[in-house]
Amino acid sequence: MSATEKKEPILSVKNVKKHFDVGGKKILKAVDGISFDIYPGETLGLVGESGCGKSTVGRTLIRLYNATSGEVSFKGKNVHQLKGKELKQLNRSMQMIFQDPYASLNPRMKVMDIIAEGIDIHGLNGKKREDRVIELLETVGLNKSHASRFPHEFSGGQRQRIGIARALAVEPDFIIADEPISALDVSVQAQVVNLMKKLQRERGLTYLFIAHDLSMVKYISDRVGVMYLGNLVELADSDEMYDNPLHPYTQALLSAVPIADPSLKNERERVILKGDVPSPIDPPSGCKFRTRCPQAMDICASTIPEWKEIKEKHFVACHLYN
Amino acid sequence: MSKILDVRDLHVSFHTYSGEVKAVRGVSFDVEKGQTLAIVGESGCGKSVTSQAIMKLILTPPGEYKHGEVLYNGKDLVKMSEKEMEQVRGKEIAMIFQDPMTSLNPTMTVGKQIVEGIIKHQKLSKAEAKEKAIEMLKLVGIPSPESRFTQYPHQFSGGMRQRAMIAIALSCNPNVLIADEPTTALDVTIQAQIMDLMKDLQARLGTSIILITHDLGVVAEAADRVVVMYAGKVVESGTIDEIFAEPRHPYTWGLMNSMPKLNQDRAEELSPIPGAPPDLLAPPKGCAFAARCKYAMKICQEVDPELTEHSKGHRVACWLEHPMAEAYRREAVEGRQSV
Repeated sequence: MSATEKKEPILSVKNVKKHFDVGGKKILKAVDGISFDIYPGETLGLVGESGCGKSTVGRTLIRLYNATSGEVSFKGKNVHQLKGKELKQLNRSMQMIFQDPYASLNPRMKVMDIIAEGIDIHGLNGKKREDRVIELLETVGLNKSHASRFPHEFSGGQRQRIGIARALAVEPDFIIADEPISALDVSVQAQVVNLMKKLQRERGLTYLFIAHDLSMVKYISDRVGVMYLGNLVELADSDEMYDNPLHPYTQALLSAVPIADPSLKNERERVILKGDVPSPIDPPSGCKFRTRCPQAMDICASTIPEWKEIKEKHFVACHLYN
Repeated sequence: MSKILDVRDLHVSFHTYSGEVKAVRGVSFDVEKGQTLAIVGESGCGKSVTSQAIMKLILTPPGEYKHGEVLYNGKDLVKMSEKEMEQVRGKEIAMIFQDPMTSLNPTMTVGKQIVEGIIKHQKLSKAEAKEKAIEMLKLVGIPSPESRFTQYPHQFSGGMRQRAMIAIALSCNPNVLIADEPTTALDVTIQAQIMDLMKDLQARLGTSIILITHDLGVVAEAADRVVVMYAGKVVESGTIDEIFAEPRHPYTWGLMNSMPKLNQDRAEELSPIPGAPPDLLAPPKGCAFAARCKYAMKICQEVDPELTEHSKGHRVACWLEHPMAEAYRREAVEGRQSV
């Protein structure tokens, strides 16, 4: 990733918070102050357990949610303050692929209209609309005959391809993929991942890849960020993260991934975390991970660990490294 | 070791408006005492139907047990009446399901759901049953079991619910535990907890486990033997070392190659299995995998290969196993390794 170092980030997230009012004067801090940059042409993986706020991050970046505070700037412009023409332009350059290929396609629309919806909205009918859709279908490995069908006629993997074609229709630069392969079978996951990588090579796309499957994230991402209860706890190049995880949570998470090789079964050292993720409505004081951390110290309860660059391009928020 | 469960040539179909869906088309395997057998395969391959058929949980109609036997300690469960099955379910063979939210009753306290089975099968008094239930909750690692006993499923987290379900399943000391995707809905850290718990309980109670999953990682860490299913049939079965070190069926190769290795080069493409599984309304005449198989020969389209023994206990259903295809097979194996 040496090439990206000199580039300006395409997307820059600064201390973004997203809080939800859940009634009874309680606030759910789904995302509680996270900062990172994404550089053009790279894939940033975002991992964490369910409820850690990774999907909320994706949705806040693309303005499906308004941030409670903080700043998201995309190509130098503050995403949450754009209006009118500029907002429309943003919606073109940033697109999203969703987790559930069954729920994210309108069952009453034909594939042709699903894919062309963005083209219509943005007035991109330079070429004939139909030709454009067929071209997109072919790009994602489907064909002409699929255009006149409804979503229920497709398998999960095919639907996810339609979702990708829809995202590509408006020629975006940046795609947020929120668990795009979690609902798919193993053999089909690889098909979709290969397709996403091919599109990235051909079109220079930038991805934010949100997932909980750590081996797939390692394979697809250049850098990986690990989230826990609304905060990033570690961010590093993906090989560095997997070879040399610093945060106790990252270490536990990686050791919990089952490896499909029985011969390694007895060699691995496992860190099994006790208990569940605490409620984000009433998170622990200081470091939020301290209640499950095998290496917790006194300071962890009182002080929030600082987000620091420990090594070059390897950020971690943990008192062990102060 | 002795066989505790022996499934022989099981066929299960569902009658639908569009015709007969042959979900399970001749499945045979056996489970030995105290062992873990994993059944792997993609969605729709019939692995869940097989497990439900063992418990006779398939609604007939629309379902139909077309053929075959499920021998539990020598008795055929398929022929048993509903009344006889009630004595087997829960007591002899118990099951845990994928989604702990929908498979627990939301209107009953967790305690009551555990006690239910204990009272039915063990003829204990209410107070004794409650004691036993609290003991079970403790056994599966639920903190403060006394207060958890009176709570409802929605007050439990996902991992806790799965623990509660395991407590229900194990409360009557079943000989066989069927776990249908027990950790699919859970996070990896919780998955590791639950798999550890199951292994620990197995070692203590000597339960045989049928583990149904699509995650080869879970299989590698938990199973003794593996059955690979595709389109309602067993395509390969063997010990985990055989299946992972020398898989012989192209579908098993495909499954293994689809997953990124931990040291996989990012520049290298994954090799997915092209296409999608066949429609079981009209299964193909020959080998069901032929249409997606890189090594398919003419005969594969015509005649379905039988499950043949490659070495003791390692069985494969593929025409590449035929002595006449040996040279071609060697080529295929070399090709696979060079990928």
